[in-house]
Amino acid sequence: MNLKKKLILLFFLGPMLFVVILFYVIPLFLSIYISFTPMTDWNVNRYLTQFIGLANYYRLIHIMMYDPDMRAVIITTVVFTSVTLAINVLGGLLLALATYFMDERLSVPYQGLWLLPRMTPIAVYALLWYYFFHSSGIGLLNTILMRLHLISHPIAWGLDPRYLPWGAWFIIIFINGLVGVSYGMIIFYAAFKSIPKELIVAARVDGASTFRIIRHILLPLTRWHFTFITVWQLFSLLTSFAQTYLLVAWRVVDSTWGQPWALYVFRTAFTTTKDQGLAAAASTFLSAIGIVLGIVALKVLRYKEMILEPKGDI
Amino acid sequence: MAGKGLAIAAAIIIIAIIIGVAAYYMTQKPAPATITTTPPTTSSPSTTSTSSPSPTSSAAPAKPVLTGNFEKDVIAIGKYLESKGIHTVKFTVWATGDPNSVMRMYGLYQAAYDINQIWKKNGINVKIVMNKFWESSFKKLYDEFISAVPQGTNGDFFVNSYIYIANLASQGYILNINNYVEKYWDSVFKDFYPAIMNAAKYKGQYYAVPQDTEARPIYVRKDVAACMGWDISNLAQLVKEGKFTWHDMFKKAEEAVSKGCAKWGLIHRRGSAHPDLMQFIFAYGGKLYDPKTGKLVFDVPAVYKWFMTEYVFAQHKLLPKDMMSWSWAQQIHPTVVNNCKGSPTGCTLFFIGGTWHWTEWQTKAYYYDPTTKKLRPLTAEEEVKKFYYMLFPAGDPGDKPVTLSQPFMWMIAKNAGKDNPNYNQLKDVYHELAFLMVVDASKPVINAVHSAISGHLPVRRAAAALLKNETWINNLIHMKLNLCPTVMKAIAPIVQKTAKKINIEFLANVSYMLEYTHLAPSHPLYPKLAGFFADAINKVLMGEMTPKQAVNYMIQKIKADPQLSANVEIVGSIPTNWSFP
Repeated sequence: MNLKKKLILLFFLGPMLFVVILFYVIPLFLSIYISFTPMTDWNVNRYLTQFIGLANYYRLIHIMMYDPDMRAVIITTVVFTSVTLAINVLGGLLLALATYFMDERLSVPYQGLWLLPRMTPIAVYALLWYYFFHSSGIGLLNTILMRLHLISHPIAWGLDPRYLPWGAWFIIIFINGLVGVSYGMIIFYAAFKSIPKELIVAARVDGASTFRIIRHILLPLTRWHFTFITVWQLFSLLTSFAQTYLLVAWRVVDSTWGQPWALYVFRTAFTTTKDQGLAAAASTFLSAIGIVLGIVALKVLRYKEMILEPKGDI
Repeated sequence: MAGKGLAIAAAIIIIAIIIGVAAYYMTQKPAPATITTTPPTTSSPSTTSTSSPSPTSSAAPAKPVLTGNFEKDVIAIGKYLESKGIHTVKFTVWATGDPNSVMRMYGLYQAAYDINQIWKKNGINVKIVMNKFWESSFKKLYDEFISAVPQGTNGDFFVNSYIYIANLASQGYILNINNYVEKYWDSVFKDFYPAIMNAAKYKGQYYAVPQDTEARPIYVRKDVAACMGWDISNLAQLVKEGKFTWHDMFKKAEEAVSKGCAKWGLIHRRGSAHPDLMQFIFAYGGKLYDPKTGKLVFDVPAVYKWFMTEYVFAQHKLLPKDMMSWSWAQQIHPTVVNNCKGSPTGCTLFFIGGTWHWTEWQTKAYYYDPTTKKLRPLTAEEEVKKFYYMLFPAGDPGDKPVTLSQPFMWMIAKNAGKDNPNYNQLKDVYHELAFLMVVDASKPVINAVHSAISGHLPVRRAAAALLKNETWINNLIHMKLNLCPTVMKAIAPIVQKTAKKINIEFLANVSYMLEYTHLAPSHPLYPKLAGFFADAINKVLMGEMTPKQAVNYMIQKIKADPQLSANVEIVGSIPTNWSFP
């Protein structure tokens, strides 16, 4: 690559690189830096230049080994991330397929409906589900079930030990899945729409069923998108906590079984103990796990093969 | 090709514009951290080097030092500020509490007014301008304060629970006012109740001034008791003597529910265990702090008995299992003040409440009026008809009844005055002025007005005396108070609803409870430990853990955190020869 090409490359990539470095790389290194300080209560003036080595990591490991709630945090993270990821990717794919084969007059409002959770402000969205799953008679779900005489007393869906951890998991997976699924739907739908119509028409003329069109045309041609959605949603789920936090804070979901790792980091830094040093150590740990999982996902989805130059003459 | 060249040229122009704008802003002087004040010297509050030179002359007054004489100190500070070219001083108060506790903000507005009047009378051209920020949750306000101080966006005054003093002081977020308090000891602080004054200390030094205190009575619905055929006329005395314990509470609660007189036997706070539920530990003879070692205490027998008491209540359906997730406005208060659907009597027999609830029920529309079929506040007369009140009973026979106070404090931020010119040069003077405002806001009349309209208890004897003064009470009821127009306007609707002889009698009737009061420890790690208690009691109520498991869970949580483990003594063991009820 000659200098001119390099300059053009830098010119086009520069702004994005600048944004990525400013908003992603620097905060990551800042977080790693804070994990080596005793930062608490945001006392930047006092603690920012105090180094305590690996003390926060030692504390984190100690807590992971002995805190009775940490086992639940780890299991919840695994279950929440994997199940919600499957819902977001496969659910998004199914919705995109359904809307692709629908009449556009129907598919557009249908997609709009699925986008509502994403368009609703997080606090409002969480408040809706707070009143839906509320453990008492003011909860909509309980009211409906009691009116239908399916239950005689209100049930604390996310709190009742008889339904833990499943109740708490169901709620946090459900509300996060509902938001995430629309993202996959939009990307896959756009990808399907970009496939030349002639291919579909030709397949139809040859007598291919809808299933065969999906299997042999739509899915193979959207592998890029599948990889992108999977990896993106994986990172997103590993670090998402906003709706879950509100439902835990409002005590609709059990604080132990409704707390994935990202929420543990947030609560440690901002609410329960305001121990930013420990939270930064936990956050660094999460980043490391995320990077490893991302690499594994790209390997499994054969990312390298997809970016290879096509073989043979065109 | 031409199109490509055009695109590149356009991109270069856009980027050049962005860089140009960025460069322009970077070369500008930093703007003041917050809203500027009106004086002619408008420099950044934290940058003295950029400020315009202060007008000085050979006759300039010396830097003031507090003497203990309020008016003299106010005049000295006013003259000094004026000589430095300061004509407006801006302060912001951050306060929290129930809707009737507005004097936590307006007390300082009154102080600003009083000081402005003194300056005006003495021809000093300086004026204090106040701003306010209100947050109903005291914990939330604390969280916001903690994150705001390092950024310099916090309020200058912070009115919140004393439990935060230890942490705020140890982090250097609030001002050590020990020297100032000493100066004003004889003229002001000697009149304060010693126990409450002590709560303002951290490591032997004063960091705050008490604003109010309260007791946490158990409210008993009279109609439910009557339905049970239970004569409660002497109940408060029995509780006081330790003859009516939590074992009896359980029996009565069970009787109320089994006889169909109430749906619940007991209702209490939601969300956190501190402060209301901590009373159980003291009622069962336990403690939370060891003054000898300066460490927090996890008193296993007392905690176990507390957990067991609530566990048994919840298992017998006398207390909602999901009590900790109830909503204050939609569930707790309506359950306490209303009758259950279709029932002529109340929904609960007992409620672990606070003195401020007495006036809150008179201002907030929690009561469903069956005649008008609308929500409205209770009247004072209706409250007297509905509620009986008493101390938090002893746990076991032989234990003592208790209550728990959480005095609220006026705290002064370490950077108080930061929004004013020449801050670095004048910060000591701004701090002294802030302290004098707190001194003025602690005047008996302000303290007594706050108590009368919010159901809190006074922190000084002179305020308590005013609450017993018939003339003063009549003046309050008829709004004939010598307060500034802003304060009068703000409190008028509350006074109209709550300033009644019945309410002032209520305060007099509950004031004996302070003799039985306990305070939660003033320790930087107490809020963390209290957070664990909240999780544990929620698990106990929900039946997720037995009391024994919950105690062990707490011990594991404490031991798992090296910081907490080093600061908490775990004492005693689970009692084997004890049962509840």
